[in-house]
Amino acid sequence: MRMNKTPELHIKAINLAKRVKVPEGSLTILHDISLTINRGETVAIVGASGSGKSTLLSLLAGLDTPSDGEIHMAGKPLHQMSEDERAGVRARDVGFVFQSFLLLPSLTALENVTLPAELSGDRKARERGLALLEQVGLTARADFYPSQLSGGEQQRVAIARAFITKPAILFADEPSANLDAVTGQMIEDLLFELNDSQGTTLVLVTHNAELAKRCQRQYQMRSGSFVPADTATAVAATEVAANVG
Amino acid sequence: MWASIAGRLFWRELKRGELWVIAFALFLAVGSVVSLSGITQSVKSALQQRSAQFTAADRVLGSSQPFDDAYFSVASELGVATARQMQFDSMLFAGEQMQLATIKAVNDSYPLRGELVLHRSASITSGSPGQLAPGEVWFEARLLDLLQVKPGDTVELGEARLVVAGVIVNEPDAPLSVFGGSPRVIMHLADVAATSIVQPGSRISYRYLFAGTASALDALTDALKPRLTVHQRWRNLDRESAIGSALERAERFLLLAGLLGIVLAACAAAVAASRYSQRHTQAVAIIKALGATTAKARLLYSSHLLLVVLFSLVLGLMGGQLAIFAAELGIGNYISDYRPEFSFRPLLLGTLTCIICALLFAARPLWQLAKTPAIEVLKQPAAVMNLDKWQMLFGAAAIWGLMWLFSGELLISVGLFLLCALFAAILLGFAAVMVKLARPVAAGQSSAGRLALANLRRRLWPNSFQLITFSLAIFLTLLLYFLRAELIGQWQQQIPEGAPNHFLVNVSAEQRAKVTAFTEANNLQPEPFYPVVRGRLLSINSEQLQQEATKEDRSEQRVGVGRELNLTWLAQIPANNKIIEGQWFNDATNAEVSVEQEIAERLQLTLGDKLDFSIGGQQVKATVTSIRQVDWNSLQPNFYMILSPDVLATFPATYITAFYLEQGSGNLINQLARQMPTVTVLSVDAIINQVNDIIAQVTIALSFILIIIALAAALVLVAQVQATLEQREQELAILRTLGAKYVFLRNALLLEFAFLGALAGLFATVLAELLLIVLQQRVFDMPFQFHFALWWMGPVIGVVSVSLLGWWQLRRLLQIPGAILIRRVIQS
Repeated sequence: MRMNKTPELHIKAINLAKRVKVPEGSLTILHDISLTINRGETVAIVGASGSGKSTLLSLLAGLDTPSDGEIHMAGKPLHQMSEDERAGVRARDVGFVFQSFLLLPSLTALENVTLPAELSGDRKARERGLALLEQVGLTARADFYPSQLSGGEQQRVAIARAFITKPAILFADEPSANLDAVTGQMIEDLLFELNDSQGTTLVLVTHNAELAKRCQRQYQMRSGSFVPADTATAVAATEVAANVG
Repeated sequence: MWASIAGRLFWRELKRGELWVIAFALFLAVGSVVSLSGITQSVKSALQQRSAQFTAADRVLGSSQPFDDAYFSVASELGVATARQMQFDSMLFAGEQMQLATIKAVNDSYPLRGELVLHRSASITSGSPGQLAPGEVWFEARLLDLLQVKPGDTVELGEARLVVAGVIVNEPDAPLSVFGGSPRVIMHLADVAATSIVQPGSRISYRYLFAGTASALDALTDALKPRLTVHQRWRNLDRESAIGSALERAERFLLLAGLLGIVLAACAAAVAASRYSQRHTQAVAIIKALGATTAKARLLYSSHLLLVVLFSLVLGLMGGQLAIFAAELGIGNYISDYRPEFSFRPLLLGTLTCIICALLFAARPLWQLAKTPAIEVLKQPAAVMNLDKWQMLFGAAAIWGLMWLFSGELLISVGLFLLCALFAAILLGFAAVMVKLARPVAAGQSSAGRLALANLRRRLWPNSFQLITFSLAIFLTLLLYFLRAELIGQWQQQIPEGAPNHFLVNVSAEQRAKVTAFTEANNLQPEPFYPVVRGRLLSINSEQLQQEATKEDRSEQRVGVGRELNLTWLAQIPANNKIIEGQWFNDATNAEVSVEQEIAERLQLTLGDKLDFSIGGQQVKATVTSIRQVDWNSLQPNFYMILSPDVLATFPATYITAFYLEQGSGNLINQLARQMPTVTVLSVDAIINQVNDIIAQVTIALSFILIIIALAAALVLVAQVQATLEQREQELAILRTLGAKYVFLRNALLLEFAFLGALAGLFATVLAELLLIVLQQRVFDMPFQFHFALWWMGPVIGVVSVSLLGWWQLRRLLQIPGAILIRRVIQS
């Protein structure tokens, strides 16, 4: 059970914009995005393909820098940091779960899990990795390579990897999109279960309205910006229908 | 901690292939540089040691002043062995007979290298061995005839009376000229004083002979340097440097030829490194997303290259050194007392080559890999690999750097680099045109043929590497075959039927009748006797000429011949000689000279020039009245300078003649040698055998380079195929989905490589034919002859070798069942 306390601001984004160069000139992918996420909160960013939600996730996680605007993570200005400084922040505070799992094919399941901890110089990485693999039910697959695992198993390894450094915030990009319905459901359950037990902030990017509903808050995106709250439901319904259809 | 991750990643990446291509490419580069450089150094050292046997010492200091004992003391202190030698020309008297001879007086320690063989008899083939002792002289065999003496008789030399002990069988530092000059005599140094020949102003050559280790000799050279006077000169340093510079040129040539293979291997390494980098882009993005900095990512992946470089370097150095040891064993079979000398130079060159190849060909892709931004985790990895322009620029810089390192000449390296760039551009242009031309042809072909050509067109740029490498490998194969099997045979066929194949030189005036009787008795048809007088060209139009090709700066002097010439006099122009300028001698009393065309060009002679010769100490003048073209292939006695009879007829001469002898008549030559031991017989067959020997040695060197280039070519193909593996996998999956059958896909693949091989074979054929034409006309002086066999051999070798290699690389991909292939592509 979590204790009720005053919400602590974890992420704050102000007037974010992202533009990229294209042969025709400049293309704006995100514009005028502002949001706040509190520590321990679960937030879903929902939108159709191409709406800019993955780009927003990359900015919030410090994988990329905005063209304009500010991002603060636990009070630190990510937008002013160099690539290596942001890498340091990610190493300490951030965990990732990707749609296509992104495991290193030449490392075993256990080695993939322990990789972030080893990069940070954690000498107890192996014990912690084994414990996490047990939590995700893959102890028997510890020495298997990704190519020897099913999609669901690979995603469970990825989730275990995301939690090995005890991150303060977890970013998940369409974590169940590449899986069948049953496996997807299992992965989603596991993600929320671990998130709950570790008290992590969760930022989830999805086009799955059902999955989004499991989060405490939702941001609806369309064409690179947030849809106002009063139209969000209607837009979501249309987009879900479009995705299904 | 990172080292542990790096180690695990490295170990597992070894199974994937690219790292092995880089490792093998670097091993090939290091191994070939070390062995090529080391073997030429060993040959150089062997020839220098052999040269020492021909100079009776390792170093010889010549002087026109009497011996300075201090020099010998310095040598003894440095542990260098010494011997003394005096040489002078003097008349020998035996009763009424007299003869000018070259006298060599030596002490007991002579010779320091090689062997002095003396026989206590009048024959060089029999007699008990003798030793040098005071009171005795040893004669060159012909001198016994000339003075009409036999062993045991007494001769007079100056004021001394000495006993003729026997004949000289082998004199290690005898002059190499077949015309010899004055007959030679060896005596003990202790008897010189008694002759009273050594007087102030006498023309005596004093020689200090030294032998020892290279370092002791260098120390001696340094120690004596400040003491040397203008009358003293290191005699065999010039000789050594001539051999040395020839071998240095050979080493440079071999290294530069081997560089082709090294560059190709390095290109394979560059392709493999690019592929490795491209395949790991997403892994680096993942690692960076998980919190690794650029420096840490660089450390992880650079360590892979470092490990591969170290592994290849160590193995390459060891492999190269082993090849050197094997070569030294071989040299030991030819030179009995060969002493191998270890040198660090080949190892240093190999290490430098490895560093240059690794840094400039392979390091950039890995350096760039670490710069992959973390955001790449959200992007789809590219299936097609591209070499960036900087990598190509670095590669070009590396090629030029290696050329400079191996040639040691800035200008040569720049010229060679531009030539190679031009060659590559021509080849690429030609390839592009051929592929374009093939498009309409393909329209009428099977669909497998069309697919093969479409693949070739699409991969024209990566295929160009393969085209160049295989063209070179096939070109060398063809060249070696035709050089060995065809050219020598063709050259031998050019020699006119019945042309003289045996030359008799050093025939004395008295022996002419005996030689004529011998040839008549054996039904031989000899050429006329040509008188020969040795003379030195001193000046042209009173302008003094350089007399020796030395490194000393005498640039203000006009270039001379650099040696004594064999001069003759004739009233009639010889057969196979043609006057191209001026006229043959009109008046036999005008002191004229007819000059051969090539030497006239070299000496910049024109009609009317006045030449001064020194013959037997006398100065002789003659005016150039004609320039002759000589057919050297006629194999008749030919001369650079023919003088009018009035100039030379009074000088004592030896004679030269020639005749044709059928093969297998060796007995006749033996009979002749027994009857006239002082006459030298030269066999053209022996010369042809020598040429064959040289070609065999060149062939061995070129075969070694061919192996390097063939391996590098195969490596480039492997690297290129690996680089396109994923793309090919995708294409195959699509074709399989569309219903393409195994046979169709196999045929398309084989046709693609066969076409590439045929193109490479065609280029190689054109190149080989061009070079053979140059060799035919410039080196062997033969008319143009087309090599028809080349034109089918080249393309066939290309088609077979490239198809087999390509098939071997991709056979596994073709054998994967369609369903698995499609699943693999979807998953990736």
